[in-house]
Amino acid sequence: MEGPREECMIKKRLFSVIYMFILTFFFTAVVTGIHKLNRERITINEEIKLQRIILKVLGVQVPPEITALRIRQMFKQRVKVEEREGRTLYRGFTEDRKALIGYAFPLFGPGFWGPIYGIMAIDPKMESVLGIAFYRHNETPGLGGRITEEWFERQFAGKRLIPRGKERKYFSLVPPGMAQVDNELDAITGATGTSRGVERLVNESLRDYLPWIAGDNVEGRIDGGLHEG
Amino acid sequence: MARIRSKSVFITGLWRENPVFRQILGICSALAVTNLLINTLIMGLSLIFVVTMSNMTVSILRNITPTRIRMMVQTLIIASYVIIVDITLKAYLPDISVALGPYVGLIITNCIIMGRCEAFARNNSLWPSFLDGIGSGCGYAVILLTVAFFRELMGFGSLFGVQVMSVGWTNWVIMVMAPGAFFMLGVVIWVVRSFGAREEEAEIKR
Repeated sequence: MEGPREECMIKKRLFSVIYMFILTFFFTAVVTGIHKLNRERITINEEIKLQRIILKVLGVQVPPEITALRIRQMFKQRVKVEEREGRTLYRGFTEDRKALIGYAFPLFGPGFWGPIYGIMAIDPKMESVLGIAFYRHNETPGLGGRITEEWFERQFAGKRLIPRGKERKYFSLVPPGMAQVDNELDAITGATGTSRGVERLVNESLRDYLPWIAGDNVEGRIDGGLHEG
Repeated sequence: MARIRSKSVFITGLWRENPVFRQILGICSALAVTNLLINTLIMGLSLIFVVTMSNMTVSILRNITPTRIRMMVQTLIIASYVIIVDITLKAYLPDISVALGPYVGLIITNCIIMGRCEAFARNNSLWPSFLDGIGSGCGYAVILLTVAFFRELMGFGSLFGVQVMSVGWTNWVIMVMAPGAFFMLGVVIWVVRSFGAREEEAEIKR
């Protein structure tokens, strides 16, 4: 009596498992196929997005309605990319490609919820900031997410790069309205974690990149980088 | 006979049992993506695609899917279509993909879709399921576009990015922010339900 019934149950369960397996296999295959077909396009889109940001922080005027192709051309014309020792440096040039307008380098570090990615540009003498932009993060919209707002990014522009204090901080984020020294900037109210993260990743990136870029300068390998004389 | 039924299935989803103002489903995305008409349109089209395709797939598989694992199967189907939409947006409309942010991925958890699969598609054949999907999807999209129309008009003074308000117009900042969506959605539900109430009365009298 029990035998056939149990057998039937086992068959049903087995069918469920096989059915689910086949279905999952089928849908995964379809999704993978579509992903593969579009992967190149998506990579190019992201590349162009980054190129637009690099041009922007270097102070190159990029009209908002410009086509993707034009951005690639512009980037190729005005920016030289150098990847060495695990670091990436973008050198921005004037339109006639003769004089250096600044250096840009990536910013990366933990925020409150996840990693924050950004780009910072400094002038050829490495004395002040040209611009900064954060382009990928998982911070709370309306709180930490405000790091991408213009008022926050604009605070950095034109600030001098002088390490201060015991910790050799280039920038400190302090509660809004409390800034006294030139390198103290407004933090974001309600997003202390994000503000601390940004402060840390900006300072660490500067401490890491400035000597590295300067090393290049001393060796005289960068054209247009020696303006002092 | 079949004709009348088809039409009523569509109308039910679009109006009589509209997912947003009748069932109050999909509110999360309704609040999040309605600040600009273009974003809302893309979101609406994405949802129409996902709900229709999911409904059709669930309907095709309805006789062989074991009842015990049907939820798992539905989730798999919905998730696959959502990822397809997400990839397509990233590849062809990157700006809108960024603006919609996580909300495209979150279509997976949009109650409207699983609701339609559970309530309709798993017990009905292909054609009615297709209509039900289109109807519910359009019902969602129409309400969202109504909300977005007023939010963009008052918040930015534009429609689909084209400036329509005169120079002297002061933008209503609240309409750009999430609370503006709450107010607008509340007003829309209030207005359409007031009309709906009249319809219901008329039906009862008949």
